[in-house]
Amino acid sequence: MNIPTHLPNVNHLIHAYRVAPWRVQRQWIGNVLLAVVVLAMVAALYLNITSQTAVSGREIQDLNNAIMISQQTSSDLHTQLASLTSATAMETRALALGFRPIESGEVEYLVVPGYVTPQPVNLASESLPQLSALTIPPEFNQSLLDWMDERLITSRGLQ
Amino acid sequence: MRQQYALRSQVLAGVMAFIALAIIVQMTRIQNSVEAEVFRQQAENFAYEVKTFYPNRGEIYDRNGRLLAGQKTVYEIGVDLRNVKDPHAIAFAISRELEMDYDQLLGALQNPPENISYMILADYVDAQKALNLQALKKALQDQAPSGAYGGLTGLQFSSHPQRSYPENALASNIIGFVNREGKGYFGVEENYDNLLTGNLVQVLIPTDPNKAYEIPKVPDGTTLILTINRDLQAASEKLLDESLTEYGAQDGVIIVMDPRNGELLAVATSRRMDLNKFWNYNDIYDNATDFNPAISKTYEPGSVSKILTMAAALDSGIVTPNTTYLDTGSVMIGGATIQNWDRNPWGVQNMVGCLQHSLNVCMVNLSTQMGANKFYGYMDAFGFGHLTNVDLAGESAGRLKVPGDSDWYPVDLGTNSFGQGMSTTPVQMMAAASAVANDGDMVTPHVLYAMVRDGRQYNVPPQHAGSPISAQTAATLNEMLAISLEAESSKALVPGYRVAGKTGTAEIPVDGVYSTYETNASFIGWGPVDDPQFMIYVWLERPTTSPWGSETAAPVFSEMAQKTVILLNIPPDTIRQQLRVLK
Repeated sequence: MNIPTHLPNVNHLIHAYRVAPWRVQRQWIGNVLLAVVVLAMVAALYLNITSQTAVSGREIQDLNNAIMISQQTSSDLHTQLASLTSATAMETRALALGFRPIESGEVEYLVVPGYVTPQPVNLASESLPQLSALTIPPEFNQSLLDWMDERLITSRGLQ
Repeated sequence: MRQQYALRSQVLAGVMAFIALAIIVQMTRIQNSVEAEVFRQQAENFAYEVKTFYPNRGEIYDRNGRLLAGQKTVYEIGVDLRNVKDPHAIAFAISRELEMDYDQLLGALQNPPENISYMILADYVDAQKALNLQALKKALQDQAPSGAYGGLTGLQFSSHPQRSYPENALASNIIGFVNREGKGYFGVEENYDNLLTGNLVQVLIPTDPNKAYEIPKVPDGTTLILTINRDLQAASEKLLDESLTEYGAQDGVIIVMDPRNGELLAVATSRRMDLNKFWNYNDIYDNATDFNPAISKTYEPGSVSKILTMAAALDSGIVTPNTTYLDTGSVMIGGATIQNWDRNPWGVQNMVGCLQHSLNVCMVNLSTQMGANKFYGYMDAFGFGHLTNVDLAGESAGRLKVPGDSDWYPVDLGTNSFGQGMSTTPVQMMAAASAVANDGDMVTPHVLYAMVRDGRQYNVPPQHAGSPISAQTAATLNEMLAISLEAESSKALVPGYRVAGKTGTAEIPVDGVYSTYETNASFIGWGPVDDPQFMIYVWLERPTTSPWGSETAAPVFSEMAQKTVILLNIPPDTIRQQLRVLK
């Protein structure tokens, strides 16, 4: 391109409005520093999440152990209670309290309208456990890519 | 000047870039070196660990919800060898608390096997003893100077469940036991071992804590509810023990069953074991059949099986209750002479008299009239020679020789008719006789009432084992047996309740010859006759006060029946009739 010779101050103007080299340098330094800060923040976030995950994992292990110990204790106490109320123990206690086994001739039967003969035990839980595990909302286990993928599929489906 | 700084900066930048490049090159080189591959392999090997989750063994309850088998907490005590500071103190404490040898412990602590960091000193330690040791460890640590270690440093405690039987020896023959490896032996523990144990779960778990993993849900083993009534079981065991002493019997069995559905309510045997001390097994039992003779021990049943011969004869129509015959005291069959129990003739007798006086000659006449095919057809239908499929481990089938077997002789048709020359188990006799008490339908004896899994209870439906006789035959025979007991003023009678039943006195073969003095005395009976709700079998082995079932087993039956009606809340006949009128 030819620059018209009748415009002698053009070069001067271009030179005057060109970005100063030191400004360019600062922009570069600023960009690099920004990148470093972003990286540092990501690293810090990653470290934070990692440490929290590790702590949570350890807490889960501790809670599992606590559950196991509680179940063991419960079974143990249940068995101890059964020992304390065993046939032999109950008979001994009854005899010590002055009771004696009843003879067949001593039993008096009364006719009670509506009386229902006791049925064998029912050990079914009153509140039945869930058949399947709780559903975790996707926000807690879905990555960003998974989310985008899902949105794409959903939008295609809508179209 | 400015250019000079620029040059320096460029040189510095170049040097730093070179260092950075060198680091990147070195990192790449290390990542791709041969050693890196080895380390990567090692890391992969340790990236996951296989963890096995063991379910808790299912519990066992009686029909009223009384715990018969559960879990208790015991401890494994070991040492972390890297942290042991005072082996003498550990050896001393353990030897005192657990009554172990001090020198042996000290030797093991000072010279442990190579390449181990943890050593088990004792397992299945009682919780109280473990807690005492834990308290001692803490006390020593508290007493140690600041920064120093306590004498029991390195001692570790790990709790785990162990099978426990709160009723100790009660119903041991039914429950069986679990050894320390968790395997069930005998009874319910063996028969339902897979159900009780549950399914163990193995999972690959990442060792990297960042990788979250789901802890698998390991369902406990199935809990079982038995048909057994704990209080009735305790009463039957107590009565059996008293009866063995009273009649000088060697061994014995008492079974109580509901003849309507085959539910075994009590199965008492004379030899019982504290299941919490299962290692005493060899001191108590001579062989496996002794653990639960009610299902495992075969013997010649004797006259109680006359019920079944009479049932076959009535059902096949060759006789009625009023059919008479002339009892001459003996009869020839297969070249052998069969005599009555008292070796006397009883003259003209009808079928009720035949049962009432337990006449062998009568039974031989019946079996020969029926013929071998018909007689053995009925005996087969009653289940002789077959397993009853009772849900307890170790059942024996017994033996019934039939025509065609190499060791069957024509005389067997006669002897089998009154319970000789054949072998059965007590539970087999119960199953067979249930047809008479239950309108002709045989039941399968069983102990499992229900299973509980994941909070849901599944009741087990009763199983019928065929109908060898008609309901009419069963009703007729019921009446005949009740009349025969009443006419005889049997010691088996139960005040207030009409019962049916039959005594049995079987001579025991000793060196191939039947002994006159050593007998199996038995009685099988049920009641109330108009609505049978219990069936009781009593077997006393070699009673010494009297060889006769009518004088030993029959009174035991009566006593057991009296306890049964109280514990099962069965009102006397008069009250039940009133109730029927009200309904």
